[in-house]
Amino acid sequence: MFAIIVGTHGIFAQELVKSCEMICGEQKNVRAVTLVPGEGPDDVVKKYEAAIEELGSACDGGVLFLNDLFGGSPYNAACRMVISNENYGIVTGVNLPMLIEMCSAQLMDEGSDIKELMQKAVDAGKNGTQTFHASNVSDDEEEDL
Amino acid sequence: MKIVLARIDDRLIHGQVATVWSKVTGCTRIIVCDDDVAKDQIRSTLLKQVAPAGIKSHVVDLDKAIRVYENPKYADDKCLLLFTNPTSVLYMIEHGVDIKSINIGGMSFKEGKHQITGAVSVDDKDIAAFKKLNEMGIELEIRKVDTDKKVMLMDVLK
Repeated sequence: MFAIIVGTHGIFAQELVKSCEMICGEQKNVRAVTLVPGEGPDDVVKKYEAAIEELGSACDGGVLFLNDLFGGSPYNAACRMVISNENYGIVTGVNLPMLIEMCSAQLMDEGSDIKELMQKAVDAGKNGTQTFHASNVSDDEEEDL
Repeated sequence: MKIVLARIDDRLIHGQVATVWSKVTGCTRIIVCDDDVAKDQIRSTLLKQVAPAGIKSHVVDLDKAIRVYENPKYADDKCLLLFTNPTSVLYMIEHGVDIKSINIGGMSFKEGKHQITGAVSVDDKDIAAFKKLNEMGIELEIRKVDTDKKVMLMDVLK
């Protein structure tokens, strides 16, 4: 088992976890950490530490930090945690498809090789970005039963 | 056809189905079985293009769904069947489709329906179909996603 911590500017993280729960049900091994105006990276580090404590044994296999912005304070604070623990990793650009994929990886117990999980998160985040336009529709595209 | 899940959910293919159920059931096809939806070309087209990666999605009317079920060509395909209402499921079962358990994920509230759980509302026609399915010994369980605890529909249909 690995734990997931979503860390973002503002309450985006909390709401993203709530949105994910609308789709996947309650998530016990996910925590949201927010950076609110007036706080700095030190505050976020403290919140990350508290989240890890709360998650307890779920962190034994590792912790995956999902941050909103590369180079932002939630990310910078996560870097401080990750640099001293090889079982921790960060992926930035968090979105709902990425979070759902990682919750599903927890659920299906798809292992806890942090580097593999990081790559899966990246792929899910990218694949979640799709486009649709009327010109995309073609009738013969689908194989009929 | 191997039916890995038969689900009533009038949102059809949406977040819970596309991400959770398709994964936990390991289905290779999602088949929407509904006479009205099959007639609605725009809705069918849109449903076909939201299939999760690696899964084919289809929209067919009930008689076509029964033919597909009987077709030996699809004997080994793991299919997730989606319905909008219990009357359609009853029709399929009465025509020989082997479904032992039905997952009820969502039936939205409309005028003339009454709400039995947060996600499920029924009218008289639905109730009649559910009662008949129950008499046939078919499990009727309400769950949004597979990690939810099963709530038996007949227990809340009082």
